[in-house]
Formats: sequence, structure tokens, C-alpha cells
Amino acid sequence: MIPIVVLAVLGVGFAVFSIIAGSLAGPKRFNKAKLESYECGIEPSPQAFRGHRFPVKYYLTAMLFIVFDIEIIFLYPWAVAFNKLGMFGLVEMILFILAVFVVYAYVWRRGGLEWD
Amino acid sequence: MSDFHSPSIAYTALAPMLCIGAAAIVGVLIDAFVPRALRWSAQIAAALLGLVGALIAVAVLAGTHTVTADTALSIDGPTLFLQGTIAVLGIGSVLLVADRSPALDGGAFAAQAASTPGSADERAGIQAGRIQTEVFPLLMFAVLGMMIFPASNDLLVLFVSLEVLSLPLYLLCGLARRRRLLSQEAAVKYFLLGAFSSAFFLYGLALLYGYAGTVSLSGIQAATLTGQHNDTLLFLGLGLLSVGMLFKIGAAPFHNWVPDVYHGAPTPITAFMASATKVAAFGALLRVFYVSFAGLGWEWRPAAWGVAILTMVVGSLFAVTQTDVKRMLAYSSVAHAGFILVGVIALNRSGLSGSLFYLLTYSLTTVGAFGVLTLVRDPDGEATHLSRWAGLGRRSPVIGSVFALFLLALAGIPLTSGFTGKFAVFSAGVSGGATPLVIVGVITSAIAAFFYIRVIVMMFFAEPVADGPIVATPGGATAASIAMAVAVTIVLGVFPQPILDMANHAAPFYH
Amino acid sequence: MRVDYYLYLSAVLFTIGAVGVLVRRNAIVVFMCIELMLNAVNLSLVTFARMDGNLDGQIIAFFVMVVAAAEVVIGLAIIMSIFRSRRSASVDNANLLKY
Repeated sequence: MIPIVVLAVLGVGFAVFSIIAGSLAGPKRFNKAKLESYECGIEPSPQAFRGHRFPVKYYLTAMLFIVFDIEIIFLYPWAVAFNKLGMFGLVEMILFILAVFVVYAYVWRRGGLEWD
Repeated sequence: MSDFHSPSIAYTALAPMLCIGAAAIVGVLIDAFVPRALRWSAQIAAALLGLVGALIAVAVLAGTHTVTADTALSIDGPTLFLQGTIAVLGIGSVLLVADRSPALDGGAFAAQAASTPGSADERAGIQAGRIQTEVFPLLMFAVLGMMIFPASNDLLVLFVSLEVLSLPLYLLCGLARRRRLLSQEAAVKYFLLGAFSSAFFLYGLALLYGYAGTVSLSGIQAATLTGQHNDTLLFLGLGLLSVGMLFKIGAAPFHNWVPDVYHGAPTPITAFMASATKVAAFGALLRVFYVSFAGLGWEWRPAAWGVAILTMVVGSLFAVTQTDVKRMLAYSSVAHAGFILVGVIALNRSGLSGSLFYLLTYSLTTVGAFGVLTLVRDPDGEATHLSRWAGLGRRSPVIGSVFALFLLALAGIPLTSGFTGKFAVFSAGVSGGATPLVIVGVITSAIAAFFYIRVIVMMFFAEPVADGPIVATPGGATAASIAMAVAVTIVLGVFPQPILDMANHAAPFYH
Repeated sequence: MRVDYYLYLSAVLFTIGAVGVLVRRNAIVVFMCIELMLNAVNLSLVTFARMDGNLDGQIIAFFVMVVAAAEVVIGLAIIMSIFRSRRSASVDNANLLKY
């Protein structure tokens, strides 16, 4: 019980300290960008566009990450029961990973991994 | 935990699906590694090889009855019949997609889907003669989903294949070369409504799983026979599951997306959706209702009657009011979904084989009809407004009479395939005790015949419009696709017996 | 502990999602509501798996998650392309296809 209380006090203390220290020590310069929604959420649509530019890089990386990341979900049950699934499981998993790699090769060749 | 027994997988019985899957993956590799100049032709070759391979595999497998991959897939008569149909439709659609002859302004697909409509980027892409070659792998993945869909013997495989067939179609809808805003709008609409309906499908799956403790169709059937489970879960689950599937076949009241999406999508993709998606979705619907819920016919048939009547009436009446040929064909496809539902509701062997035959005839005629639509053009793309078609049959008799043939077949006039199909389904309906439904079907067929024949009258007996649309000389691919549809429409109208026998032998389901 | 409370929660979440799809106007919010529906289904699946004591439901939930991720990618690609051409993701502005 005691360690949890200590940890909680430390955590709250650090948060309070950071906020106070930040407001005392940090410079205060406001600009428009600081008032916009942070990281996610919908940008107010009329103002967000100058010309027809739309920052697409982060979006592409994020989407590729989601797709490849979620495929891992099938590896977990296989890894947990690896011994029981035996040869059959191994072969099926190799086939699955090969299919994923084909798509990876496509993304790589068509420049999906380049930032600029 | 019990010991694991590795499921036996009959790879030979899966050959049609493996062919398509391999073609799709090769397509992705072609896009990754083949130089841009060769990509388009390499893609066509891979797709056609895969489809022809699948068709041959289906022919070799004819007569197989097996449940494989631990009851996940059932390779039986109806599955093979539908897979063969889908492979033929795939060939027809790939040929329509492949045509980039100058008369068609370089194909139906965007140079680069990522470029904004009207931007300099887009013009540069078209100038350079580019086209989005990913169309073919996407199409092949959709075909793969469609092949698995009617073969699925459990609800999970049914759901996954539903998504495999839908996701590429959402993208393909948005890839039109001209009228891109319309096309993108169709894609958004299709996507949001499709995802919405698949969520319903999934909730139905979950409730049925809760009901039976399993998702295999035979397991659910066994649970319904004992009658010792929670009926609330059963009927809620069945209803929600049906919503998902009725959406895909475009039955009223879940048909609202059909005209908009068919209108906005590139015409070769519309041809593919209107034919192959409907075949696959009806295959799955037939299997679910005939295998799992046949014993509950008394419970679900009244609701199905309502849906069928509404679909036939809505489809035919709204088609009459359309002034755009593409939208008219879309509503007619809604009406046809209603006619096929009569076969589903019959719930007997002839209902199943009649539906299979109807699906074959309807879908091939549809591919041909949309193929003709790609040829009638204005300077800014296809001329789909009905008024532009006035006198078209006089100015170009061949295309006019081909289109007239397709319309007559869709109307179900004797000596065309459409008549044989309607006869098969309606007589099954009568023998299945659905006579009032068949009467509604006949009346709505008469209404439908009105708007089909109105177009024919307009094409041949109205004065040609000044500066009317140009009828493009089809490239070899489009011509081949339309010719195939014409041949099937006539042969199945005049001499349908061999294929009717085939459909009869295909029934019943094996599970 | 009563397991069926989870089923009620799942039904409520599913309904909230379905109502959201019908009343919200921004394509991205509509899409988020669809995701909520899928996750409500996952909750049901896991609950049923617990009640029946078999693992099928949990495995199905895995598949649902993967399919949902694929749907996100495709859906956002489509919504973004229409967003770039129209500068709006409102479902009401998409009205070229009304008859």
C-alpha cells in the first residue's frame, strides 16, 4: 500500500511542479498555430486550406503503420500456441507473412516509405 | 486445453480461388517491379490468365462435393456453378476495363487517383498517357472475395470474404477518369453505407454466435433444430445478418445506394458490380437461408415476402421515372434482385437451381448492356442521358440492335435468356407455395418491360438528335466482351437446356 | 458477476454508433460511429466467448479488428480524396448524385 501512495504523491507532485515551473519559466508568445486543435481532431475546414495544399505525409505514414501493425495480431495466438500448432501453423504463418511482404514490396517500390 | 488437430485443406478443391488469389498477388508484384510502360499489358495478361485458370479449374472440379478447411468452406454444386459464373463475368469486366482505344479517350480510369480533379497534376498525367494500373489487382481481389463468399460455410469466412470483395470495390468506384467529383462522391456513399451495413451483418453474426455457440452454418442449423436456445438472439441475429446481405444484393429498403453508386462509378466497374457482386451475394444469401435457416421457413418467409414485393415494385416503378440510361439500368437491377428473391423464398430444390440459372443469364446480359453504354459518347465522356439516345438505332444499327437485344432479355421476352430465367424462378415460386408473390412478379415484369421497350422505341423510331453522341468503334476488348454477352443471351434463350440441366444438377447445397 | 451486463452495454454502444451514423453530418465522424459499432460487436463476441467457454468469439474479434483497420485505411483514403477536391467532408455537400 505504502509504495503506491508514494508513487501517486510523486506523480501528482511532478505534474503540479511541471505546470508551475512551465508557467513561470517559459516565454509567452502566442500565435495562431498554438490555438488550433492539437495532433488529432478536425481542423476547422474553411480556414485550413490555402490554395489546394493539404499535408499528406503524416497521413500516409500513419495509414501504412496501422495496416502493417494490425497484421501482428495474428502472430500472437500463433506464438502463444507455437508448439501445439506445429508444422501446420508454421507453414500457414509463413504463407501469411509472404503475402504481407508482397504488399510491403509494393509500398517500398512505389515510394510509400519516402518522406519527401 | 484440448490437443490441436491440424485441419485438412483440400487444396485441389480450392484451385479456382487459389488461381484468382495468385493472379491478384502477381498483379501487386507487377505494379511494384515492372517498368511503367509495360505495366498495363502485363496486368491484363495476369488477370486474364488467373480468370481463365479459375474457369478451367471449376470445369475440372465439376461434380465435387467436399467441405474443407475444417468446415470453413464448402465446395459443392452451387459453389462451383457460381464460381464459374463469376470467373466468366470477371473476364467480361476485365475486357471492358482493359480497353484503352483512342475512341474511348484512353480508358475509363483516372491517370492518378491521388491528383485533385481539375489540377495541373491531373492534366499532366493524362497528357503523359498514364492510367492507374492498380485497377487490375483491386479487381482480382474483389473477384477473390466473390469466389469465397458463396463457398463460405461459416459466418466468419462469410464476413471476411464480404469485406475482401467490398473494400476494393469502394476504391474502384472512385477511380473514374471523367466526372471525377461524381465518381468520388459515389465512392464515399458506397463506402459509408457499405461499412454501416457490414456493421449490422457483424452484430448479427455475434448474436448468432451467442445463440448457437458456433459460427458454422451446420452448427447453427443443428441449434435451431433442438429449439433449446434463446430465440431472441436467433431472430435478432438473423434479421441483422439479413440486412447486411440484402444491402449487397441491393434489395429494397436497402437499395438507396444502388442508383447513385452505379451512376457515379466508372462504367466497366458498374458492369462488374451490377453482375458479379449480385451473383456472389445471392450465392451467400441462398446458402445461409437454405442451409442454416431452412427449418425456420415459417418464421422468416413473411418478412422475406415483404422485402421481395417491395424490391420488385420499387425497382420497376422508379426505373420508369428515370431519364438517365445508367440510372435506369441501376433501378432495373434492383427489380431483378426482387425477381431472384422469389427463387430464394421458394425454399426448394427448383428454387435454388432457378436462382442459379437466373443469376447467370441476368449478370451476363448486364455486363453487355453496360459495355454498350461505354461506347455511346459525348465529347466529355459517356452520353447517358436518355434524350441523347434518340434515333441512335438508326444512326448505328449494329450497336442499336445489340442494346435492344439486351433490353429485351432484361425485360424477359421469349427467345432471350431473360425469359428462360424468369420462367425458371417463377415456376419454382409457384411450386414453393409463393403464388401471390409470383403474380406480383409478373405484374412488375410487365411494368419493367414498359421502360425497356420505351428505350428501344426511342432508339429506333425517334428522330436522331442534332449533334448527337458519337458511337465509338469498340476496341477489340470491349467488342469481345459485348460479343460474349450477345452469344450467351441468344444461346440461353433459344437452347437453354444444357445449362438448365447443369443448374439442376448443381443443387442442393452440401454442408 | 453477471456477464449479460456486457451484452447490454454492447447493445447500447452499437445503438449509439448507429444513431450517430444517421444524425452526424461529417463523413469522418460518421466513420468513427461505424467504428464504434464494430467495437461494440467485439464486446459482444468476447462476452459470448466467455459465456460459452470457447475461444471462437475471441478469434473472431481479432478478425474484426483487422478488417476494421483495413476499412479505416480505405475509408480515410476515399474521404481524403473527396476532401481535397471539395474542401469539405460534410455529407450534405455531397449531392451531385441526387436525382
